[in-house]
Amino acid sequence: MITFKIAVLALALCFGQAARAADESAAWAQLSEQQRQVLKPLAEEWDTLRPWQREKMLDIAHDYPKMDAKQKALVQKRLTNWSRMTPYERENARKRHQQFQSLSAEKKNELRQKWQEYQKLPESERARLRAESPDIYPDSDLD
Amino acid sequence: MIVQNKTEAKLELHAEVEHQIAKNVVELLDSQTRQLNEAQTQRLLDARTRAVHHLTSRQAQLAQHYQLNKNGTALLWMGERFGRYFNQHRLFTGLLLLSVVLLTLFAAQQFVYHHIPNSDAFLLASELPPEAYADKGFNAWLDTN
Repeated sequence: MITFKIAVLALALCFGQAARAADESAAWAQLSEQQRQVLKPLAEEWDTLRPWQREKMLDIAHDYPKMDAKQKALVQKRLTNWSRMTPYERENARKRHQQFQSLSAEKKNELRQKWQEYQKLPESERARLRAESPDIYPDSDLD
Repeated sequence: MIVQNKTEAKLELHAEVEHQIAKNVVELLDSQTRQLNEAQTQRLLDARTRAVHHLTSRQAQLAQHYQLNKNGTALLWMGERFGRYFNQHRLFTGLLLLSVVLLTLFAAQQFVYHHIPNSDAFLLASELPPEAYADKGFNAWLDTN
């Protein structure tokens, strides 16, 4: 009887994994209503995304209901730009975001102001800074 | 009534015969014992002493074992039993261990997937836009300002 229960659980595990894999490769039309609503800014380009990119986007849709209205609005606003960033840029952003999370409120506020100032620099100046800067995380795992 | 009396008489006769046989055996043993010399008597006494000593030490060991179990080290006893059981059911034990490992991995994955808010969603909803984190130029500019 115990063996039977274990076999059932193992099968459920396998089916669960298979279901998740199928979900990650789902076309736009196959997404749920809730997923389509969250990922609406990506509707046009969804079917051109690679499976691992879709997986990341579906993770966003999964966490979306846990957010408040302000966070949801920010996600909607930033999603398109996020999907167009290169895997390298996204990985750098994740690591820098983790560092940002560990800062004090005062430091976070200071960084926000600095970002505003940086935005006011001419685009040519920002391009020069980017070109002259070395890669931050040259050995990052990209996806 | 007559049959019952006959049966009782038979049983009494049997008991008397058995008693007489036992009495004869004892008398025979006694008469033979009286014929033993001192060396034989001593050897028999030594053998009896060893036998009694062996019996008492064995009883003491058993008593200690049961006392241990009674005092809360039942794990020793259980360990022996489970060890024997798993040894006899190796295939089942292997499957059980494999299932435990798989279920643990599955549970850990589900926990990470459902409970830890570390997906890109929280990065997108952060106080700074993703471009701020990804922009190498901003990082370089911060170092000089």
